[in-house]
Amino acid sequence: MLIQQLVNGLTLGAIYSLIALGYTLVYGILTMINFAHSEVLMLGSFMALGLAVLLPSAFGTGAMGLVGMFVLAMTGAGLINVIIERLAYRPLRHISRLAPLISAIGVSIILQNGVFIWVSTQSLRFPEPVAITQVEVLGATISSLQLVILVSALLLMALLHFFVEHTKLGKAMRACSDDIQTAGLMGINADYIIALTFFVGGALGGAAGVLYGMNYGSIKYNLGFLPGAKAFTAAVLGGIGNIRGAVLGGFILGFLEVLASGYIPNGAQWRDVIAFTVLMIVLLVRPSGLLGEKIAEKV
Amino acid sequence: MTFRRALVLAAVVLAAACGPKEKTVRIAVAVPLTGDMGTEGQGLRRAVELAVEEANAAKRFPYKLEAAPYDDRADPKEAVNVANLVVSDPRVVAVVGHYNSGCATPAAKVYARAPIAMVSPAATNPEVTAQQNSKDWMGPRMVFRVVPTDDVQGSYAATFALKKLGKKRMTILHDKSPYGQGLAEEFKKAFLAGGGKIVSEDGVSVGDKDFKALLTKIRNDPAKPEGVYFGGLYTEAGLLLKQMRELGMKPPFDFISGDGSMTFGLFDVAGDSADGAYLSIVGVPADELPSAKKFVEAYKARFPNDERKPFDHFGYEAANIIMAAIERAGGPDREKVIAELKKTKHEGVLGTTVFDDKGDTTSKIVTMTRAASKKRAFDSVR
Repeated sequence: MLIQQLVNGLTLGAIYSLIALGYTLVYGILTMINFAHSEVLMLGSFMALGLAVLLPSAFGTGAMGLVGMFVLAMTGAGLINVIIERLAYRPLRHISRLAPLISAIGVSIILQNGVFIWVSTQSLRFPEPVAITQVEVLGATISSLQLVILVSALLLMALLHFFVEHTKLGKAMRACSDDIQTAGLMGINADYIIALTFFVGGALGGAAGVLYGMNYGSIKYNLGFLPGAKAFTAAVLGGIGNIRGAVLGGFILGFLEVLASGYIPNGAQWRDVIAFTVLMIVLLVRPSGLLGEKIAEKV
Repeated sequence: MTFRRALVLAAVVLAAACGPKEKTVRIAVAVPLTGDMGTEGQGLRRAVELAVEEANAAKRFPYKLEAAPYDDRADPKEAVNVANLVVSDPRVVAVVGHYNSGCATPAAKVYARAPIAMVSPAATNPEVTAQQNSKDWMGPRMVFRVVPTDDVQGSYAATFALKKLGKKRMTILHDKSPYGQGLAEEFKKAFLAGGGKIVSEDGVSVGDKDFKALLTKIRNDPAKPEGVYFGGLYTEAGLLLKQMRELGMKPPFDFISGDGSMTFGLFDVAGDSADGAYLSIVGVPADELPSAKKFVEAYKARFPNDERKPFDHFGYEAANIIMAAIERAGGPDREKVIAELKKTKHEGVLGTTVFDDKGDTTSKIVTMTRAASKKRAFDSVR
């Protein structure tokens, strides 16, 4: 049973991690929390659904459908995130720290209600691009779906790691994250790098949206809220602004939830309480998160 | 001066706009019209509209009758807001609603203070009507319902599990709502009384998506449960079914649930994982009721593009019972309608409906059905 629960926790954690990365990337560069990120996730899953519904013959099922959904959801969600940054955050960037935060909440409400009013008020069935089969491994039943989720999430995280650590743009991103003004003086176009960061974060959110839809089989206008809140917590737990921290935080939260409902008697209804209590304790001991660094106040 | 003149002008225009018009009387339909339970509420709205249109066409009343829809979003807070709106509209004479027990219970308190009659077509928690007999009830007895309650439904499902399916050990899940938890408790009571054993009991939250950890625990439980009884609504039921199948939990490990899960939305959430799930429904499905044949045909003719929902014939009946009471009361008077509703002896799509001293229908029939996703149907099991 432990192995089975670990597999459950890994799948859940993988989705949380992907979403948490979107929060942490943006925070790392702007020290701002993109509250609209949960809606970007939701829009990603709706775009994937739209593709499968509009072109069922090409993208309804199979590997083609899977790749198509990911490509569309990731580019679409990335671009939406860039547009949000351009319209709602950039004009407010130098006004105050709170203004973009409020603006983000506003964008979140607008997007959620837009989908509510124009698309659907109810749960919509999400297509199944992979046939669900079960594999028995060491007494645990692993479904093909869980494998797809895990593999694609890990692949995306590896890609992100490569991009940030080993490319020129990634280097520019890290430079901006360290000190955006100095980076600008060194000839880096900060606006461009910020937009890029939003694109990458949004794309990961879009991918998470597709995984979320596949995992639970149905999507709804408000689906982003709960995983968004949890992933945000995961990002804080790992140390917001830190990429490895977001991944670690996501998996820890996934495991905590699974262990709480799997091993504590009557734990399912206490799941969130238990998970968040542990998080609070961790933050009491390490206020900057598990992998977060204590940054001296900039004067 | 010009400002004051403008004000006077505005008042005159307003008064003219509110001047005598053709008199309309409204029956409020307070149900979830959006959100996950929106499909059910929309069905009820259509059913009440159909009843009202039929009455208008037959010129049963010297005034125009109207179904006024209100959206409670299946949210108890919103239900109270809606109830206040309903009460403050003098044209509304009675209410068909609410769908969820969690909404009907607090909304009824608002209606009681008006007072205005509420006839629920779907809320099955006993408390919805039982609260009227409590000492702090502010108002007359004015809550009625045309559906049997969860004590009947839960114990029926327990007997079914024991006798028909031969289950001895069951595990219980519920969604912590008044409806879901209430239903699960009634099942538990009857299952224990019948000699069965409840292996474990867990609550989940409405809106939760991931039940894999919980289901894994149930699957590996050394006490070996033979099935799950779930008290809750179709979204969670569908996700539970889907994740059960993914974990390889298939019949003869059975999934049994109640009327809140028995709707076509279950197939949208669970797909073919819904196959074989047992779901009880209060009353008899409209398709199997000889007395509902005319209603089924009229509904199809009036709304050819809409799926008829499992509670629609109850909504239709609730509206007809209210209209009969208005007729007997001799006019759209809220209090007289309440008095007349108590004396109801209605012959309609549900057969004969009589309300007992709590306001509940005396008909206590429950039907067990089995989900078949290919046909998008729930077949009766006898």
